[in-house]
Amino acid sequence: MLACSYRHFKVINPARSRIRVVRLPHEPVDSPIYCIQCGLCISACPFNALSRDLRTGAVKVDPEKCTGCGICVHVCPYGAVSRDPETRKALLCDLCDGDPECAKVCPEGVLLYLDPDDAAEYKRMAFSRLQRREITPLKPDAR
Amino acid sequence: MRMTGGKLYGYAGRILRVNLSKAKIVEEELKPNLLKFYLGGTGYAARILWDSLERGVDPFSPENLLIACTGPLTGTLAPCSGSVEFAFKSPLTGIFGQTRAGGSFGPRLKYAGYDFIIVEGASDKPVYLSVVDDSPEIRDASHIWGKTVHEATDILLEEVGDPQASVACIGPGGEKLIRYASIMVDYDRAAGRCGGGAVMGSKRLKAIVVDGDHDIEAAKPDEFYEAALEAIKAVGKQGRGSLGQFGTVGGLLGLNESGALPTKNFQTCYYEEAEKMSGEELARRYLLKRRACMGCPIGCGRYVWVPSGPYMTPPHEGAEYETTDMLGVQNMMGSLEPLIRASYLCNTYGIDTISAGNAIAFAIEAYEKGLITDEDTGGIRLRWGDADACLKLLKLIIERKYIGDLLAEGVKRAAEKIGRGAEDFACHGKGLEVPAHDTRGTSKSLAIQYAIGNPRGACHIEPIWSPMWDFSRSSLGLGELGLPWPPPSRFEETGVRRGEACRLLWLYGELASILGICRFSMQGGEDEILTPARLSPLVSALTGWDLSPKDLIKISDRVYTLKRCFNVREGVGRKDDRLPKRLMEPLATGPTKGQKVENLDMMLDETYEALGWDKKTGKPTREKLKELGLDDVSEVIWGG
Repeated sequence: MLACSYRHFKVINPARSRIRVVRLPHEPVDSPIYCIQCGLCISACPFNALSRDLRTGAVKVDPEKCTGCGICVHVCPYGAVSRDPETRKALLCDLCDGDPECAKVCPEGVLLYLDPDDAAEYKRMAFSRLQRREITPLKPDAR
Repeated sequence: MRMTGGKLYGYAGRILRVNLSKAKIVEEELKPNLLKFYLGGTGYAARILWDSLERGVDPFSPENLLIACTGPLTGTLAPCSGSVEFAFKSPLTGIFGQTRAGGSFGPRLKYAGYDFIIVEGASDKPVYLSVVDDSPEIRDASHIWGKTVHEATDILLEEVGDPQASVACIGPGGEKLIRYASIMVDYDRAAGRCGGGAVMGSKRLKAIVVDGDHDIEAAKPDEFYEAALEAIKAVGKQGRGSLGQFGTVGGLLGLNESGALPTKNFQTCYYEEAEKMSGEELARRYLLKRRACMGCPIGCGRYVWVPSGPYMTPPHEGAEYETTDMLGVQNMMGSLEPLIRASYLCNTYGIDTISAGNAIAFAIEAYEKGLITDEDTGGIRLRWGDADACLKLLKLIIERKYIGDLLAEGVKRAAEKIGRGAEDFACHGKGLEVPAHDTRGTSKSLAIQYAIGNPRGACHIEPIWSPMWDFSRSSLGLGELGLPWPPPSRFEETGVRRGEACRLLWLYGELASILGICRFSMQGGEDEILTPARLSPLVSALTGWDLSPKDLIKISDRVYTLKRCFNVREGVGRKDDRLPKRLMEPLATGPTKGQKVENLDMMLDETYEALGWDKKTGKPTREKLKELGLDDVSEVIWGG
């Protein structure tokens, strides 16, 4: 979170980060909430301020066009879009121009940014593991 | 040190001063001239306490202050910077009190726009302080008074409407003025020692809630980022080591094998059933998840639970090493389940696990010796290894019933009241209950550290765990600053430059509470800690002030000395730099059987000399104070 605001604004401020970590009280869950670049927000933006960066695949914000209306925040299913408390404009993950800072600093190797071949393999494995978890639920009270 | 004027980098720049008697809140600017001298954290706070508190002030009176402190590194990209320190005059020891917690309170306080909160006065009715959305407010807390830490935190997060906010609150322990009540941060992170929770209780301040969206800026952003990434990489190695994988309790078996695991109220340093209470056993059966404080690449936190049975607990962060030894091993519980339950109760009722564990072991021994009876305990038969009796006694302390009411005053006061030789096995230094490291089994460095007990009494980690000198394979990056190397045998007492080593280690450790980072970023191999050579570029690029490792140690020296002066003003001197009798006597069993402390006075002489303290009185000398620029302090403790 801190590296994200630092990369983009050269300040430390989790409220200006595009990735958030949510810790659920009374449960063993610390969840990084990040943008999956689905692009729902692009078509929702009434000012055409959002577009797909064809090089990185990330959704980009045109700060000139963004009015801070917050519709992209509403349509995002994950809460991965927010408004910058300072500028009030859309705060969206731009994948740091194809070199995401969060993945670089993650000491646990939880956040990864992989080339397409590795990413496909990784996602297949991750998805399969998710199915395994249904047998051994993580939720404490269900154990 | 060179200071560039104008804007303060790395700091939020403001202090929130809250007067509960007048229900008034004011904002103040940080004073650059004081920052230059003390940098921040407990250093800056020590100066405030020195200036504001009169000698002999009652820690429970409205005149006492409670200061929530951050340092320049808190909440930045520096590793392990999720730190908050609380400073006050301690109701347990009557001297300088400081206590630290991790979690996210410190960082969020800075994002809320304040480096410090100073709480003055006392309220008539229960209140809490809300510092969210840029509108600090004192609010009614009568609906949460009496609630446990976990209940109150849930309610407050709901009430301020910000689930990511950080709550520092007290439980019934603090409300009932148990002298070692803790301040609990983010549910389970404890600022446990010295009774900060009781100070909050005496002010009828149930909680402080913080969050905000202010920026923290670095003076030299690129240099700072580079230094931070290097530091994260280094400290991150510990995350893959024992501390990250098994938590602090991962060291328990190693300590036992080397005869350094305090057991049976410090009668021995070897526990036959240690296997059953190890970090490995915890990970196997009770661990749900590793937990890290904000900005920490180690993650020593253990998110554990006991899923069923008589010792059932909900998931919570607990069972770290100190707790496991003090509440479990000392009383010879022989199983993790009651220990986890005891740890959970301490957390949610808001009392310190170290002091509580020490008090229980003390009570068992007193009962064994016939100094307290069934009448005192309300019929509970105390004996070693009876976990259920321990838990019942813990409840008595929490409720201040029967003997629990006396034990809630701390073992020093309890032993004085009980008398008849109870003092001989009351293990405290200046009133602070001795934690789970021993003067004889661990290292003689601890004998000096506990005896001097600056600033807060007998403590293993404040300013630092000095036996790391004896156990380290490398000179901790302190070789250039004069750390004697290689170290002697850990059992040797005098003539081995132990005093010199301790001084430098303490000053190094003191930096943690000044800069606002966790001491675990400073303990370990040279390649995996924030050595002065790593701290210097971090702090310099962040603040824009050119601070060499030597400059940092000098500031630290000033802070450490000022805290001693605070205690001197309260009457502390060489006469008080003693060890409890138990911690000098030969150990009864185990690999370190027969080890004892023989030459404490000579060790003190050597250490005073290294520190620049007067050997006769134990006060910092006039010359020393002058060298540190503390002339006004010198006038007070030596006279004009």
